[in-house]
Amino acid sequence: MHIEKNLDVINACRFCFMCRHLDPVGNVTFREADTPRGRALICDRIRMDAANLSNADFIDTLYRSALSAANRFHCVSSYDETGLVLAARKDIVEAGLAPVAVAALAKTLEKAAFSVKGKGRALYFGPTPELYKGCATLTGGDPGKALAVLGFEAASKKVFARFKKAVAASGCKTLVVAEPSAFEFLHGNVPGVKVVHCAEVLKDQGVKKARARKAVYLESDFLKNYCGNPSAARDLLAQAGYTLLPFGTNTEESYAVGEGAVVYDTLYPELAERLCQRVYALAEGLAKTRFITASQTVKDTLKKYNPAFDVITLEEAVSLSQA
Amino acid sequence: MTPKNYLYEMIRSELTWAVGDEHVQTNDADKLGHSIDYYWVPECWHDRGEKPTPPDFVVHPGTTKEVAEILKIANTHKIPVIPWGGGSGSQGGALPIYGGIVLDMKRMNKVLEIDPVSMTVTAEVGINTQHLEWEVEKAGYSTMHFPASIACATLGGFIAHRGTGVLSTKYGKIEDMIMSLEVVTPTGEIINTLPVPRHASGPALTELYLGSEGTLGVVTRAVMKIHPIPASRKFHAFLFETMHDAMTAGSKIMTSRLRPCVIRLYDETETAKLVKRVLGIDRKGAYLVFGFDGPEKIVDLELEEACAICAKTASEDLGTEAGQTWWDHRYKFFYPPYMFHMPQAFGTLDTVATFSNIEKVYWAMKNVVQENFPQATFIGHFSHWYDWGCMLYARFIIDEPPKDPSEAIALYNRIWDMAIRAAIREGGVINEHHGVGLKLGRIMRDLYGPAFGVLESIKKTLDPNNIMNPGKMGFPGKGI
Repeated sequence: MHIEKNLDVINACRFCFMCRHLDPVGNVTFREADTPRGRALICDRIRMDAANLSNADFIDTLYRSALSAANRFHCVSSYDETGLVLAARKDIVEAGLAPVAVAALAKTLEKAAFSVKGKGRALYFGPTPELYKGCATLTGGDPGKALAVLGFEAASKKVFARFKKAVAASGCKTLVVAEPSAFEFLHGNVPGVKVVHCAEVLKDQGVKKARARKAVYLESDFLKNYCGNPSAARDLLAQAGYTLLPFGTNTEESYAVGEGAVVYDTLYPELAERLCQRVYALAEGLAKTRFITASQTVKDTLKKYNPAFDVITLEEAVSLSQA
Repeated sequence: MTPKNYLYEMIRSELTWAVGDEHVQTNDADKLGHSIDYYWVPECWHDRGEKPTPPDFVVHPGTTKEVAEILKIANTHKIPVIPWGGGSGSQGGALPIYGGIVLDMKRMNKVLEIDPVSMTVTAEVGINTQHLEWEVEKAGYSTMHFPASIACATLGGFIAHRGTGVLSTKYGKIEDMIMSLEVVTPTGEIINTLPVPRHASGPALTELYLGSEGTLGVVTRAVMKIHPIPASRKFHAFLFETMHDAMTAGSKIMTSRLRPCVIRLYDETETAKLVKRVLGIDRKGAYLVFGFDGPEKIVDLELEEACAICAKTASEDLGTEAGQTWWDHRYKFFYPPYMFHMPQAFGTLDTVATFSNIEKVYWAMKNVVQENFPQATFIGHFSHWYDWGCMLYARFIIDEPPKDPSEAIALYNRIWDMAIRAAIREGGVINEHHGVGLKLGRIMRDLYGPAFGVLESIKKTLDPNNIMNPGKMGFPGKGI
């Protein structure tokens, strides 16, 4: 089983409570199972007796994780409980035990097709091509990250192969990626191509400084907890004239409403809504403050449950400052 | 209780009527999480493939009234109710040893009021203490409650077990921090204790519930002191040739009535093992660290006085950096892989005593462990220092306990029995801040003597059906 490759994590997390305060799902369901310890105990039970892999309660708990990786980022030893859950999902899928909703979603994701428009010095993959003059544009669905997160490794590889083929056809040696989940998935994994996050490119292009404004930047699970917390997005917003306000009560929790699980709102809308409600509640003292996120998915999720919530993407923030 | 029997379904219906469907869990994932806390025995069982007893129901009340409703249901059916906060207690106090209802309090997690005039915070006790501290800090204050389990445990857990934090020497333990409590009695009445902790209006009812471990009712709200964030907090560390020299210096700091916020002294073995491994301070001897906080002028003055006391007998002045390093990494000791872990057997022989007795307690425990259990290593440090004495955080570790869980647990309990009774003989009190739970219940009669009868009478009066956390704190269980 894949989880057996994560035995060190099982042994470290199954009796450890030190990061439980940072589990975004646990913080809204209050359930003991929705913590790294709870999930590690489940994985340990499965490791001890493979029959437990078919336990529907265990499967649901393992898919309910928001995979924010805030826990791993917090852990002094960086134990990868997120990786353990992903390994367990692979075991579930390979055993043919994926929940119906998960399997149906995977079928849809498998159909992703990619195409390149135009020619340029670099290839842009995201929703705001007008910001990147002289770049070709790559369109299509998720490059395989969502399937990987759901545990469909083989299908993920197939989609990713199609993605790489499209990139290769463009002839570009630089790929600019907007969505943090895609960036994390592609970074260092496309042979012969340098993958950069859009914030770095926009920062290097230089953004016209607009009038001073205040905003909250909702940290991205992928940029912060998966990719080493680069400063480019915050630097870019500062360049664009934004003064960033602190949000929530601390800098450790994930307020990214399920971003780490990529398709969280599709699978668990009621939990995604609860994660959003937590953000709305914390935002109550910040009337008329604009929220900025690096992720289109995070923006869409926050807008879905409160259309009046003032949230824009990083690229939209730059566009506005350029206008 | 067996699922799918008539009574089980009836009780489940009553509980869901009281708190709503989504707040009553009966699924395997939640039951597993609640069948194991931070007590070594259920961890050992799980590690060896056994399955500790799960609860029948996990219920998440959202209000005090809902707690009262649940206790009335439990009383009607005479089924156990086990309050659960963060589940990180090391004494088995939150384990549902007879099944029943685990009352998971985490949904009651709101900060209700911060009073900047009286410097208090009112909160529901299911709040995670790190979350509580963050909210209080955002308002410009601090609870000054910084236990290693700050991120694991709830406010209610600390109240239930008389928990403590790193800065207890200045700011006190949880019982010094709490002003008043809202409690649901075992029969479902909602009561409040008097609003201030200093009065002459009869015995202190708040004290009755502090440390009652969910055996006398369910604490639902608390008013707690808060403090200004100090302008300055500074640390200093010294190395002493022997633990005795360091203890003499530490007790001198306290009996001189200086007001450190923290003192911690590691014995020679723990200095050589853990201080080296976690902090990277590689020395032979006993490592002593202390800190002061408050206005900078006062901090500097007190720090100077404390340093002068230590300098007389210390073998090395390790300076402020070695003290600050300890503060910066104070929680690191408790993360894997620094914390002891399976398959090791380990226990914290937490004992508190006066300065006159504390070293005798240390040696009595150390000798009894070393003489009777050569396979065990004994280490210790002294934390939580008071005007009159301090706490010994002694630990035993067996790297390779018996593989058979029954044998391993028997060995584990034997060490506890002998070490604790040795400590009690020397004037030690078991314990200072971990609580009694399941682990130490059998020691309560030895510890209290005839006074335990008073506690038993209170328990019988308040909880006539013995529904509240039966079998804990030395109170009767329900048979095996």
